[in-house]
Amino acid sequence: MAGNAVRVETSRRRAALLILGLMVIVFIILSAFSFVGSRDQITPDTVTYADTFGAVDGKRVFQAYNCMGCHTIVGNGAYLGPDLTNTYESAGPAWIAAFLPSAGTWPTEAALRVQLQNSNQVAETGITDLAAYYEAYPGAKERIERRGGLPTFMPNLGFRAGEVSEVLAFLKYTSLMDTEGWPPTPKVDGLEFPQAAKVINVASTRPTATDTRNAPATSGSSPSATTAGGSESGTMAAQTPVGDAPAEAGSATTSEADPAAGLALADQYGCFACHAKTEARLVGPGWGGLYGSTQSLEGGGGATADEAFLAESITHPDAAIAAGYPAGVMPAYAGILTDDEVAAIVAYIRSLETP
Amino acid sequence: MTSYRTQRLSLRFFLLMLVLLLVQVALGVLLSLQHADPTLLSGTMNFNITRSQHVNLGVLWILSGFIGTILFVGPLLSKRELAAPWLIKFLFVALVAVTVWNAVAIFFAQKGIAGWWLGQAWIQEGLEYLEAGRIADIIILIGFAILAYVVLRTFPKRSEWNEIHWGLAIGVTALTVMWVFGMFFIGRIDLQEYFRWFVVHYWVEGVWEVIHISLIGILLVLMFKADIKAVGYAVFWGVTLVWLSGLLGNAHHYFWVGTPEFWQFWGSLFSALEPLPLILCFWHMYLDAHHDRKPIENKPAFYFLLGSAVLEMVGAGILGFTMTFALTNVWSHGTWVTPSHAHLSMFGTFGMLGLGAAYFIVPKVRKVVDFDQRFGQLAFWLVFLGMLGIGFAFAIGGTIQVFTYRTLGLDWFGGDIYPAMGTYKILLVLFGIVFFAGVLLLVFDLITLGHRVQAPAPQATDYAPPTTGWARPLRGFEAGIWLLGMWVFGLIITFGLLSYNLPRVQGGDPTIPYTAAAVGYPGLLLTTLLFVWRFLASLEARERASSVAMQRRTALAGD
Repeated sequence: MAGNAVRVETSRRRAALLILGLMVIVFIILSAFSFVGSRDQITPDTVTYADTFGAVDGKRVFQAYNCMGCHTIVGNGAYLGPDLTNTYESAGPAWIAAFLPSAGTWPTEAALRVQLQNSNQVAETGITDLAAYYEAYPGAKERIERRGGLPTFMPNLGFRAGEVSEVLAFLKYTSLMDTEGWPPTPKVDGLEFPQAAKVINVASTRPTATDTRNAPATSGSSPSATTAGGSESGTMAAQTPVGDAPAEAGSATTSEADPAAGLALADQYGCFACHAKTEARLVGPGWGGLYGSTQSLEGGGGATADEAFLAESITHPDAAIAAGYPAGVMPAYAGILTDDEVAAIVAYIRSLETP
Repeated sequence: MTSYRTQRLSLRFFLLMLVLLLVQVALGVLLSLQHADPTLLSGTMNFNITRSQHVNLGVLWILSGFIGTILFVGPLLSKRELAAPWLIKFLFVALVAVTVWNAVAIFFAQKGIAGWWLGQAWIQEGLEYLEAGRIADIIILIGFAILAYVVLRTFPKRSEWNEIHWGLAIGVTALTVMWVFGMFFIGRIDLQEYFRWFVVHYWVEGVWEVIHISLIGILLVLMFKADIKAVGYAVFWGVTLVWLSGLLGNAHHYFWVGTPEFWQFWGSLFSALEPLPLILCFWHMYLDAHHDRKPIENKPAFYFLLGSAVLEMVGAGILGFTMTFALTNVWSHGTWVTPSHAHLSMFGTFGMLGLGAAYFIVPKVRKVVDFDQRFGQLAFWLVFLGMLGIGFAFAIGGTIQVFTYRTLGLDWFGGDIYPAMGTYKILLVLFGIVFFAGVLLLVFDLITLGHRVQAPAPQATDYAPPTTGWARPLRGFEAGIWLLGMWVFGLIITFGLLSYNLPRVQGGDPTIPYTAAAVGYPGLLLTTLLFVWRFLASLEARERASSVAMQRRTALAGD
């Protein structure tokens, strides 16, 4: 009797293990089918940003900074920041490049326009015009209108040369991936939604930086036309609420360079994403004590950081690179900022002279 | 119970477990504070650093607990001393070294340094759960190989193995083999996620679960003198069911990561079966605790083992079930709903096992005959309550997050979702502090165990075991009703997540999912709390009954 029970149990166990073996086979077959080339899933080795930066390199950067320790990618990771899978598709490379490296505020429209001049960006999207960019990447418009100039929680990461472009290649790849419709597309516009009104109010009671900024942006199609005319940019500076002295900013166009106007411009163009107001090095050199200091240059020689040197560094940064800093990181502001605006920013840098 | 000299080696691993647990939970509280205020320590210890440390230490202290327990039961199962104890001493040093190194290495992510060489990240690789770089990976692999070698060398001849031997042998071997799948940089996200879940899923739901079932089995045999054949039967079918459901159940991780759609079918079907072995384990816990009617000798140990089996069923089984279907997972994926399941199942199943084992083993090895068990009991209630609360805060916060983020499409840091979840972010901090208090108490208690002797039992004069009321003996029928109740609430939660698919909800009406979550989560967690209270009250009554009986006998003998 007992022997019989043991036999029954033994044969049951054999059957269970047999089924398990079958499942292993099913799993292996399914797995093999998951990665066959004919499945048309995009692979990162075929994706580049501006034909230069590879998505696999971007993935290495993404991992090196442990991005999924705060964000999610294809939904996996931590839940502090937003999911990044479709950020490229929604906000586009210029906005992301303006956001990274982040230093406390969301990019303003001015900061986005700077990135629109970036040759890689132009090579990739073919867009130099803000209106066209907004049309291609509506997420950028929404972000700038709702949050431009407002605080962000993302810490400054001090990316090295090329890393941001590589991350762009990676995010382009994840945007192109087929994720079976995840994340689900919202069927309603949450911003106009009554249940959301309460939380929206929290956001809208803060100053919105860019309400009136669309008009000048839509006027031109070439880089020089977009930013032509100091008075136009001066007007924008006057409207920005993040500057300490918006009223004075309008006078930046006059002959006397005004540090307060320089500060407002620096805020607006997102300079502090890369430059600290102290001597600390973020991406570029800190502005504190920079004026009047002696800089040794890449490739030998030295220069004193006077008005002319600083102005040249803003308009044509790669003309003379300070030792230890890679070329090609800082955008050239020639054609974006007027001479008066450059002078105002230099005046602001000078005001940060260490006593 | 015969004791072996080499069993003492388990003590150092339990000590390491407690130290790492303390740090891990402190980091957890810090994480919840950083969630509430993301500028906290920003630039010094960014959220991703804290989070990686929290996750890695969680894995490391659970492994320390496993190793400590295996070193204690290994000689008992083999009826001889551990083979090569010097290797175990080396394993300990290596484990400490790799823990310290990894904790330092993770900070390199703040500067974007991964240590790329030969295509691999040698310092840290910034993948969730697999943050460790190749240097740490290789040391850990060697450590696992040492553990597997010592266990297999210690065990008797294969012909003498019972199911527990098999379970542990397969467990330690597979632990080593599975780790290898996480040791490569992969450029494709879909392929990387495919192999990442080999390590994470097959470790947790394949290997750890096997070790868990085997260890719970042997501890029940030791604590209740349960029949080894019956336990062996449960171990075999538990392990087999884990694999039958979990092997293809892993597909629930292959839903939205770029792998083909057919995984949705296999994942939804098989991972829905994954709670079966957990229910079996839960039920065996009930049966074995009622194997005899004697009072529980070591209450804290049993409290934590019961907590492990119950939270495994609730956190891994029920909460996992709610989000395992493609149609519910599409909403829960990548939101706070997920960590409610992760916290309850990881700490609940594996953490509580390690703590229960420590309470059982530390006094045995240290030859402490009598210790004040009230500290351990109080600590259990604090961590149990704290963890249920953490699960609640994550789950309700997550429900709001799903609606605002996925249904309304509101932006993350536009200030939209953040204030909507605010209340639950604060609640998370509060329950985290309760949990932390419990951890502080139990670490203090376990380290100083035996310095305080048991207070004399209450001298009841005319006490009989209650036949009615909260402390009456728990019977199978009633336990079944409790179990059913938990699953009913689990189904309500599942329907709540499913209801996000309704046009009505997608049109902007959150009434159905919010109501289901407001009933389901508190219902499930409170039922769990009350059930454990009821289970333990019934067992405590035995002790009072037997102390009364003993007094009667003493009185009779006196006559």
